[in-house]
Amino acid sequence: MPRSNLITSENDIEIGLDLAGDEEEEEEEVSTLQEEQRRERQRGRRRDGDRERKKRKNDRSRETSTAGEGEEEEEKRERGRRRREKSDRETEGRERNTEGNGRGKSGKTEKTRKNIKNEKTRKMEAEEEEEAGERKTKKKKREERTKEREREEEEEKPKLTEKKKKKKKKKKKKVETSSEQESSEEEENQEEDKEEEKEVRPESLTPEELEKLKEAVDEKKKLIQGLRGKPWPMKKKLLTLRESQEFVEKYEGALGKGKGRKLYAYKVMMTKKWMKFQRDFENFKTACIPWEMKIKEIESHFGSSVASYFLFLRWMYGINMILFGLTFGLVMVPEALMGRPYGSIPRKTVPRAEETSAMDFAVLWDFGGYAQYSVLFYGYYNNQRAIGWLKFRMPLSYFLVGVGTVAYSYMVVIRTMARNANESGVGDDNSFNFSWKMFTSWDYLIGNTETADNKFASITTSFKEAILEEQESRKDDNIHLTRFLRVLANFLVLCCLAGSGYLIYFVVRRSQKFALDGLENHTWWERNEVNMVMSLLGMFCPMLFDVISTLENYHPRVALQWQLGRIFALFLGNLYTFIIALMDEINLKREEEKIVKFNITMWEASLHNATESENSTAATVTIIQPADVPRGPCWETMVGQEFVRLIISDTMTTYITLLIGDFLRAVLVRFLNYCWCWDLEAGFPSYSEFDVSGNVLGLIFNQGMIWMGAFYAPCLPALNVLRLHVSMYLQCWAVMCCNVPQERVFKASGSNNFYMAMLLVILFLSTLPAIYTIVTIPPSFDCGPFSGKKRMFDVIQETLESDFPAWFGKVFSYASNPGLVLPFILLMVLAIYYLQSTSKSYKEANVELKKKLQTQNEENKKKNKRAALKAQMDLEEARKAAIKTPEHQKNNNASVKVPEDGDEQHRGSQRQNNCRNGRNLPPPRHQEQPPPNTRAPVSRSYHYGNQGPPGYLPGHPRHSEPRMCRAPNLQRH
Amino acid sequence: MVSPAIALAFLPLLLTLIIRYRYYFVLFYRAVLVRIWRDCVTGLSREERAFQYVLTHATPGDPDSILDAFDIWCSKVEYISNIGPKKGKILDRLLMEQSPLTVLELGAHCGYSTVRIARALPLGARLYSVEMDQKNAAIAEKVIRLAGFDDDTVELIVNPSDEVIPQLRSDYGLEKLDFVFMDHWKKCYAPDLQMLEGSGLLGKGTMIVADNVLFPGAPKFLRHIRRSGLYEWKVHRATLEYSTGIRDGMAELVYQGTN
Repeated sequence: MPRSNLITSENDIEIGLDLAGDEEEEEEEVSTLQEEQRRERQRGRRRDGDRERKKRKNDRSRETSTAGEGEEEEEKRERGRRRREKSDRETEGRERNTEGNGRGKSGKTEKTRKNIKNEKTRKMEAEEEEEAGERKTKKKKREERTKEREREEEEEKPKLTEKKKKKKKKKKKKVETSSEQESSEEEENQEEDKEEEKEVRPESLTPEELEKLKEAVDEKKKLIQGLRGKPWPMKKKLLTLRESQEFVEKYEGALGKGKGRKLYAYKVMMTKKWMKFQRDFENFKTACIPWEMKIKEIESHFGSSVASYFLFLRWMYGINMILFGLTFGLVMVPEALMGRPYGSIPRKTVPRAEETSAMDFAVLWDFGGYAQYSVLFYGYYNNQRAIGWLKFRMPLSYFLVGVGTVAYSYMVVIRTMARNANESGVGDDNSFNFSWKMFTSWDYLIGNTETADNKFASITTSFKEAILEEQESRKDDNIHLTRFLRVLANFLVLCCLAGSGYLIYFVVRRSQKFALDGLENHTWWERNEVNMVMSLLGMFCPMLFDVISTLENYHPRVALQWQLGRIFALFLGNLYTFIIALMDEINLKREEEKIVKFNITMWEASLHNATESENSTAATVTIIQPADVPRGPCWETMVGQEFVRLIISDTMTTYITLLIGDFLRAVLVRFLNYCWCWDLEAGFPSYSEFDVSGNVLGLIFNQGMIWMGAFYAPCLPALNVLRLHVSMYLQCWAVMCCNVPQERVFKASGSNNFYMAMLLVILFLSTLPAIYTIVTIPPSFDCGPFSGKKRMFDVIQETLESDFPAWFGKVFSYASNPGLVLPFILLMVLAIYYLQSTSKSYKEANVELKKKLQTQNEENKKKNKRAALKAQMDLEEARKAAIKTPEHQKNNNASVKVPEDGDEQHRGSQRQNNCRNGRNLPPPRHQEQPPPNTRAPVSRSYHYGNQGPPGYLPGHPRHSEPRMCRAPNLQRH
Repeated sequence: MVSPAIALAFLPLLLTLIIRYRYYFVLFYRAVLVRIWRDCVTGLSREERAFQYVLTHATPGDPDSILDAFDIWCSKVEYISNIGPKKGKILDRLLMEQSPLTVLELGAHCGYSTVRIARALPLGARLYSVEMDQKNAAIAEKVIRLAGFDDDTVELIVNPSDEVIPQLRSDYGLEKLDFVFMDHWKKCYAPDLQMLEGSGLLGKGTMIVADNVLFPGAPKFLRHIRRSGLYEWKVHRATLEYSTGIRDGMAELVYQGTN
């Protein structure tokens, strides 16, 4: 009883809290029908649900604790039963009432009705409390009476099914427990009850009891803290953790005293709430990371290597978002809002010749027509220095954004690389090959059985291979054949690369011929030849490389690197062939431009002459439509268009390959397998695997093209963002629905920086041609923000001269003086050299330290071995000695024990011993001891210790012990 | 129409496919093209040609030499999908371990596997070999007699397997089968196995071995044994007979009874 009381006190507070909430809700339900309140109520319900659970737990504990109570309880129980019946009826009535109200409500309340039913017990208690608090309204009373009658009628009906009966029984049980507590408090007000309880509680527990409890709780807490380090099996750990947590939870509330206890309970509640909130917040944060759950799911199914691709994709998406923000916010939007509108000047108008077809879909799809003469491309922008009321410096902004995107990309890539390098600097030495394999090869994120099987198989094969490698490194008989095969494979790959390069060059040249002839005379195939061929080669050549690489017989990881290198070379070759062809085209356009420029001057002169001769001056000049003005071939727009087309066709190829190569194949394999003559799933076509390397390279090169073309087509980052977004969803779906886990699952931790390094190389290689064109080729004379200037970067000089004070220009010119720049560069080189040499020396020091650690370890091992041997010897000696004098020891034990039993001063601590003696239980512990060994003294000291309870005898279970001992204590007080 | 450059871009794909699936192409050539050509030229069926070769190259009464002759013919001259020497060794081992007294073989074809099994049987054991095709059965009979096995050891039943199995108990007085070897039509694996289960000829410990479960493959059969839970099973991974690059498997099942 005392303990149970102690616990319930905490509950009371909670119940009280519940009540407040409940009553409010109920009133709302009755009085109002508005939606908002309903929502509010639902929220409240959920909140209450938690409390309810807690309460039930406590109820249970109360039940158990009250089970063995004496007769005095009987009376109270009687009273409680009467009350219970009453309250039962009440709640029934209440419920019907609410249901009747809810019938008119919308579907939302229908859902909540389940909740209502679930919380019957809670309501019952609420009713009781209400009664106790005398807050009943007359109306309610009336209701009660009517419902009482109804209920009686219902009870007479014998049609109740067994289930219902059971439910009711349960209900009654619960009510019983709650009413019991009530009954002990008598039918008084709540406040009075609490005060009474405060008085009762200290009586129920002696200070010693409390102290003991405190100690036990502390011990349990310590146990929980130190559980992780215990050398137990996981099952036992979990069990102990759960048990001790329950214990702590149960008794922690009991430790506070008097007034502090309420505060303590409140505090505990708040910390729990706070923890829950924190957990929810963490969940919320993870939910906020885009695609996190998707990627985790994929990771669990396919291992970390596939997931690393998606992480890379997400990272790329983030970077592209920023690039997009820069170009969109600082270039496209200002031009669209503040620049001159479409049709105002020649460069912003579709030429007369193209006007008829400018809105055709085919033309728009090729980014001609209206798409070409819009903010999407370089040629649309005007060379006006400042636009709009903001005096926005458009050309300057265009230039700076172009430079800034590249600079930002460099910064991000290098920073990420540096961070990754820090993380993965440890595990790359080959000194403990087998133990690394042994202890680190499992991928703990795998949650799929099939993948786990694959991983298992791959680990075993990797072991086999490693062993074979070790063996082969010793004998190496057929090295010449392998070498020959490797050389042959590389030769074949080179042939393939050269062939593909030539094919692209050929195609681009042909397309130039077509362009000179006029594109209208050729078929769609011929017009899109370049992109098609590039995409197809990029798709099929890696497959060929893969096949060829089987010749070489490399370790899979090495093979993967070779494969990546080859695909890289292929893509790069294709890209650069394309760029070289583009350069040719640029030169052609510039030739054309010269002619057009000449023609325009002639045309203007003739126009001028005509107007002069006609003597009607300004009128005719203004009449000329901007669409009719002859204009040069804007090579920048042409470059931008080419890149945009390339990106589009690349995206389309990726998606179509995905749909055909993965999805269609999976569908065919899946459904044709029912009626095919061989096993399609296990045999020839099978499902496809996710090609990590190919996809990563595709992504990287795509990004390279963006970096290359973004200066001439500001729409490229936007397109890329779109593409990445779609491909994220599409590929996630495709991976989960049509791919199977790789046969050789390997961990991706090491390859992340490899991707980054490739990205950096591509970044460099793609900015190279862009910078080259910006620096060396003069901009077109009649289109783009830099028209009329000699070079594009002149815009900076212009700004310095006109927008900044004179001294700033001077300073800048001094700063850009080669005399100052060269020493600065020299200094930087020196600094880099210095840093590199220091890092090298650190590395060496690291290696030294590692070696030292290793030797120390070995020494320690030896020492430990020696110590263990010695200890074993000692042990044996001790054992021998112990066998010689067993009887002597027994006597010794007894002599120690006897005076202690009679000792009155240690009553508190030794109560349990006494108690056992008082019940005439023979304490022959020392006789039951196992045959004396070296541990005998330890077991003897057990009796002195007053911390833990002494060992329990077989016939007397643990739980009966404390109460038997407490009884005399209670009497004494 | 389509420009030649685009067609050329498909060349790597073509090369890849040819290299990757070269074994299948070789198999197609040997098993189909050569067979058709030889059929036209000689006017004999493939099995007859094989028998002729065996007759001229093997020692009568010696199963080993007959099997060797078959192997050489199948790998060097033409192609017949016998069980082959590598998987045959697995089969031999299983038979030695099991030493069954009553053996059922579904699909004798031209007698190679029959000889192989009969060779490994203990004294007093009896092998029932089922073959559907009349001509093949005639050749199989000749091969079996050539190898020196008489009617007491090997009984050749010329009938489709789905007709034979229900009658095994009544017509041949069988009580329990100790060993079943399946190498007939791959589609018949699953229904025949179910028929065997239904007939009650399978007892606890009966071993069933099925060839070619991965290529050409018997997915329904595998699905059935996976789901039914009646068997303890595993698949011996190997390559297709007389070929190196095509993966194949031989399923080994041990009947556990219904409980």
